[in-house]
Amino acid sequence: MQPILKVNLTTRETSPFTVPAEWERDYLGGASLAARLLYTSLTRDLDPFSPQSPLLFLTGPLTGSAGPAVGRFVVCGKSPATGLWAESNCGGFWGPELRFCGYDGVWITGRAEGPVYLSITENRLEVRDAAHLWGLDTYEIQSKIKDELGQPRAHVMGIGPAGENGVLFANILCDHGRAAGRTGLGAVMGFKNLKAVAVQGRGKIPLFESEKYNMLRSAANHALKTDNLSRVLHELGTASGTDYFEYLGSMPKKYYHAGVFENAGKVSGATMAETILAGTSACHACVIACGRVVRLPEGTPETSEVSKDFGSLGSLGERRKGPEYETLVGFGPNLLNDDLAAITRLGELCDRYGMDVISASNTIGLAFHLFEQGIISDKDTGGLALRWGDTGTVEQLIHLTARREGIGACLAEGSRCFGARFGAEDEAVQVNGLEVPYHDPRGVSGMALVYATSPRGACHNQSDYFFVDMGQADAELGLEFYERQGGAEKAANVARHQDWRTLCNSLVMCMLANVPAETVVGLINSACGLDWSVSDMLRAGERGWNLKRAINNRMGLTRANDKLPKALLEPYAEGGAAGYVPPLEEMLAAYYSARGWDPVTGRPSKEKLLDLGLDDVANDLWKL
Amino acid sequence: MTAIFPTPEWLEKLGEKLNADEQYARIAKNWEGDMLVVIEPGGPLKEQLLYYLDLWHGKCRKTVILKDLSEVKPAFVLKATYDNIARIMKGELDPMQAMLTRKLQVQGSMAYMMRNVPTVLDFVRCCRDVTTNILS
Repeated sequence: MQPILKVNLTTRETSPFTVPAEWERDYLGGASLAARLLYTSLTRDLDPFSPQSPLLFLTGPLTGSAGPAVGRFVVCGKSPATGLWAESNCGGFWGPELRFCGYDGVWITGRAEGPVYLSITENRLEVRDAAHLWGLDTYEIQSKIKDELGQPRAHVMGIGPAGENGVLFANILCDHGRAAGRTGLGAVMGFKNLKAVAVQGRGKIPLFESEKYNMLRSAANHALKTDNLSRVLHELGTASGTDYFEYLGSMPKKYYHAGVFENAGKVSGATMAETILAGTSACHACVIACGRVVRLPEGTPETSEVSKDFGSLGSLGERRKGPEYETLVGFGPNLLNDDLAAITRLGELCDRYGMDVISASNTIGLAFHLFEQGIISDKDTGGLALRWGDTGTVEQLIHLTARREGIGACLAEGSRCFGARFGAEDEAVQVNGLEVPYHDPRGVSGMALVYATSPRGACHNQSDYFFVDMGQADAELGLEFYERQGGAEKAANVARHQDWRTLCNSLVMCMLANVPAETVVGLINSACGLDWSVSDMLRAGERGWNLKRAINNRMGLTRANDKLPKALLEPYAEGGAAGYVPPLEEMLAAYYSARGWDPVTGRPSKEKLLDLGLDDVANDLWKL
Repeated sequence: MTAIFPTPEWLEKLGEKLNADEQYARIAKNWEGDMLVVIEPGGPLKEQLLYYLDLWHGKCRKTVILKDLSEVKPAFVLKATYDNIARIMKGELDPMQAMLTRKLQVQGSMAYMMRNVPTVLDFVRCCRDVTTNILS
């Protein structure tokens, strides 16, 4: 493994950090290794908005190797939104390019006196002034920094105005709208006055057996390209499942309060392909290319006056990023909007400001819901009437949120705080401060456990178990296929799938890549010089999962945190999920048993931690 | 006596079932596309088997067993081993599970397929309803 570059923004000191060999073996890289490296510094008292708060950008052992969908990196730290473990991974080209510079990660501490950005090459690190970039959006900074450095082929990852303004769901974005979206680490970056990190290198990726690895990855990519799921994702993007999810009742509508939306078909991935799709985009060396490139049709209403003040949203005929699934549902059926062009614009606006589309659309959905319930009124919103489907108002709320103006200052704190501000925290569809993504556990019940136990709050990227509930039950991984609206019987299956995805998040491998487990083992072994089996791989995932849990326990998380919001425990009257709610308490009891966790404290048991080789963690949690 | 899968009689019975089933007619009313099912040898099946079905607006206009893949250019091709097809027929393998775990390969417009998953699932129901007598 290559060194991690440590940068103290206060002192401007930099140094290479070598990861201990046993941690490299046991955690591989990505989020699991980040958890190991940050374990001691993530304490209950640590203020995410303090110089001591770390930001660790890490790649995985396969990043940049042109393996199957492995061109990703992860950023980890303490979340200002949840006060818990934060991790968010991101595609594009930035991660591979960092490795080409000879580093496997960048570990940021301290706080710069004023705005800065980093420029990293194989031979040089510069901390450069960024005062003139402050206030620019996430696309503008990419072109300006490349011009300034005279490096048109550099890759730039950075924050927009939302991160500068401390929006608790500010993201970090690179390349063609690829985002480390969740848990608000863009706001931590903003606090540190770090606007961006540019990387450009030409080095080689270290591989233990490069010839063997290259043969394996070539075969893996070939198989991946012809896989059913890959072909669906290539043709239709991540929104490909929209029609089927609506059939199952697992696609939320009207802020998780409507079982059907008659116009859902107007905003599906298939409809996008048939109407505004102009091309596809891919992350580094990915054969799937799920990214959408669209052209808005003539006749699309111009953006509002307030929108014209902000950056450049481009002309209608211009090719631009199209919405992926979460954006499409969040600004579509979630707000009873069936206008694909409007969804595209709203998603782009969030990207440019540097805001997570899930949390932004979810929190705005809560505002609409509370307005309808009469809990808030136009007196609270600065005169805005919040009517379902009114995309002009949604656009104004996005601007206000990113700028923290008016009602936006409250929206910028996320749905939990927004609800609490108006005495309606129970109405917020979030878990531990992270807004619930758009996979309703009333349609795919495994997601109930996934949301309730995820180490970063409600999250579909710690386990996309909805795919297993739909049938992606891979026998190689020991996964069973249970009834999609089942209960406690699937708890151990969910835990196993979380372990698998934790392993993927340490690689860092895209979850959309349907790569057989045996193939992944072969790639790991040839890249890292290991002799693992599928079982060893899952055990590494389990180690990472329990370590993140322990970090959260140390920061105050208990059994009481494993819960779902009220809305997800009320049955729909109609639609594909009608009449069902997940039996969460029964599922949790079975899950705790499968995990070997203490049902009273919610901690991994001492025996489990020792069994996984986490002796120091067992000592901290249980005072051996 | 019910037809045995896989036999010419079974395919004929399937055509009759699809044309008589009210639920299928309702769910598949917008379906437009012929289909070739390629069953690779395995178990009792010694040679590749090609089932062709012309499906249109909730009805089956034609069924035929082909000798060569080049005889038709269907909108969709479904391909799997006999073992996996038999498991789907017996209800041991969910068709979506088969698609998502690389046991059933699909060629054709994925946009159309994703829009019409309920039709595909109901087609499989009809296949299962024709017989429980499956060679193994």
